[in-house]
Amino acid sequence: MGAFLLRRLIGLLLMLFLASAAVFAVLFVLPGDPAQVVLGVNATPETLANVRERLGLDRPPWVQYAHWLLGLLQGHTGRSIQYDLPVLELIAERMAVTGPLAVMAIFIAVLLSVPVGIYAARHHNRPGDLAVMGLTQLGLAVPEFWLGILLMMLLAVRLGWFASGGFPGWSVDFWGSLKALLLPAAALGVIRAAILTRITRSSMLDVLREDYVRTARAKGLGERAVIYGHGLRNALIPVVTILGLQVGQLLAGAIIMENVFYLPGLGRLVFQAIGQRDLPVVREVVLFMAAMVIFVNFLVDMAYARLDPRIRDPKA
Amino acid sequence: MKKVALFVMIAALICQVATASAQEPVKGGHLVVCSQAEPPGLDPTANTAAAIDRVVYSNIFEGLIKLDGQGRFVPALAERWEVSGDGLTYTFHLRKGVRFHNGEAFDAKVARWNLERAMGEKTQNPHPEYFRGIARIETPDDHTLVLTLKEPDGLFLVHMAEGDAVMLPVGAAEEAKSRPIGTGPFKFVQWVRGDRVEVERFDGYWNPRLPYLERVTFKFIPDSSAQAAALKAGDIHVIGYQANPETALELSKDKRYKVYNGTTTTEVILSTNNKAKPFDDIRVRQAMAYAIDRKRLVDLAVQGFGTPIGSHWCPSAPYYVDLTGLYPYNPDKALQLLKEAGYPNGFDAVIKLPVTYEYARRSGEVIADMLSKVGIRLRIEVIEWAQWLDRVFKNKDYQLTVIGHAEPWDINIYAKPDYYFQYDSPRFREAYARALKASTEEDKARYFGTCQRIIAEDAVNGFLFSLSSLPIMKAEVMGWWENYPTIALDCSEVWLKR
Repeated sequence: MGAFLLRRLIGLLLMLFLASAAVFAVLFVLPGDPAQVVLGVNATPETLANVRERLGLDRPPWVQYAHWLLGLLQGHTGRSIQYDLPVLELIAERMAVTGPLAVMAIFIAVLLSVPVGIYAARHHNRPGDLAVMGLTQLGLAVPEFWLGILLMMLLAVRLGWFASGGFPGWSVDFWGSLKALLLPAAALGVIRAAILTRITRSSMLDVLREDYVRTARAKGLGERAVIYGHGLRNALIPVVTILGLQVGQLLAGAIIMENVFYLPGLGRLVFQAIGQRDLPVVREVVLFMAAMVIFVNFLVDMAYARLDPRIRDPKA
Repeated sequence: MKKVALFVMIAALICQVATASAQEPVKGGHLVVCSQAEPPGLDPTANTAAAIDRVVYSNIFEGLIKLDGQGRFVPALAERWEVSGDGLTYTFHLRKGVRFHNGEAFDAKVARWNLERAMGEKTQNPHPEYFRGIARIETPDDHTLVLTLKEPDGLFLVHMAEGDAVMLPVGAAEEAKSRPIGTGPFKFVQWVRGDRVEVERFDGYWNPRLPYLERVTFKFIPDSSAQAAALKAGDIHVIGYQANPETALELSKDKRYKVYNGTTTTEVILSTNNKAKPFDDIRVRQAMAYAIDRKRLVDLAVQGFGTPIGSHWCPSAPYYVDLTGLYPYNPDKALQLLKEAGYPNGFDAVIKLPVTYEYARRSGEVIADMLSKVGIRLRIEVIEWAQWLDRVFKNKDYQLTVIGHAEPWDINIYAKPDYYFQYDSPRFREAYARALKASTEEDKARYFGTCQRIIAEDAVNGFLFSLSSLPIMKAEVMGWWENYPTIALDCSEVWLKR
């Protein structure tokens, strides 16, 4: 287990290093001068030069890259050009929105998809199953931002039950903040649930055809014990795999959803930072997101081990 | 009959009294304003971004003088000022008893520090040239500031009323970006990055009558449909400026909202690279001017919320000359000019449109269609803003683009041959220099008029229209600016009707 962890850790660092080089290179070749964006169109060349110097943009790119990387290794994150704050502080602030949003979305997705998937599998080819299949087909086809706008139009603008967007802040209004995340999380979660329901259903169907399920039934176990004791656990492995992949997509989806509901999350931060050429923010947020995806995949591996003893201990 | 007349008179009188009492400003209340873009910092002396002035100008920060909603220069930190007959000496009489939000006093020495900082070598001010014409700063007493210029500058007062010239407390420049301290009617409370800036009433404001509002929140919602949803859902009171024209059209019919179709200082132009073929030929540029039906363009691109222009000058600004008749819509004339220029079958060109600005994108699409009627086939390339700045603005790697120039009094850009239009005209530069040195109003009108005429005749760019201010607000919002003579969302005299 120790060697396994070490291997993964080295792999993780290598991937982060590659990600850092890639994001630096992309930002470097991308046209756009941060000083010009900051100062606007009528700035004099003199002021532009002063600001470039202050931001360290007048140095050769490899020096900038080395400086950045060494700084990171020593624990110094960059400073946002736009906000004039340490990027780490910004990430922490924004994760307080994006983190709960993603967790809520996953929660909604799992809560919807697993029971519905099991239900569909148990009613295979009967009307209930067909209805589920139809609805999930729709869910796969609908873009999440569109569902978000629909929810906003209905529940916020028409009925006035929710705010149309924005985020009061956890310390200001806890329940209000939770409520502010509910609509976007629902939009993200429902769309995720569509694919997860289908995976749960087909995986469950496969499992229910297995010999051990027949054995369980033959030894007289009740339907509940068969489904939840023997079936579900085995059926969940592909679901967990897809769920892990969804986390990466969820971060991407959050960028769009945060723009629809103008939430001050990580996605909007990076979206805005790209437009403003706030290079330190883009670099470090992208790196942070890469680290998150890698970390979630690591968690997924751990979850496999938990679900399947054969992965945990090959001798068993 | 007499009775009826009397009744009508009394009724009219009652109505008048009723409206007068209804117009009496009420104190208190929390106004939520939607400003589209989040500002890159909050210090207007370090950055020209319009988004900064929209939050801080006349709200948090003030200069010696300010512009009001009618475009008049009104006293701010200077109670009054005098200009000497030769246009060289400006004497500002500073208001007494003015304090910054941190309690420090504002006086002539503070003003001097601010001006010197803007002029200095290490300046971060985007417009040091506004201040570098100052030869001498004198402070005969704490409340008198005498500035002597090297030579007359017709726009000196204009610049002193801009965000670049607001007054900061001594030594607070570094902080101003994130924790601004000014002398304005509102003091900074907090900036929740990515979401909002909150300000609240400053009790020590030099004008005890103002502000009316207790609190103002500037919320940053870039997406126009999200803005409309927020207004309808009651999350915001005002969409601050240039709301989506379709939303404006829809809500102008709804009694619960007010839509102002006022003026701005933004000229939307078809910027043309005057050094790129075939646009280096004046006949080609004139042909384009004839081929664009501006009235129709305004209808199609911004639902009629705009005013056609004929030069780089806003109809609402002083010294405006109406040159829209110089190149009236005339496709036949355009075809003839193209033929003379050697393009009987037209030509292909690329137009680069910034994705950030909806009006620019739509105008570009309409223009592409209009120009295709005379054989000019445009390929549309939509690019993001930072790329526009880099490729079009800085490297002049473009043929045509559409953009709004928001800065007031910015005709000076035609006097810079290396500006992205690459327009090089000694005649214009001379006229502009004269306009700046003019000391009488008649001379200013004459020379600024000449400036407008020269660039219109040269058809430097396609002069399209001036944007409407287009704020949308709930009916209870009172005192909001209708016209935007400068870039600001001044809340000092705004109040909420109950």
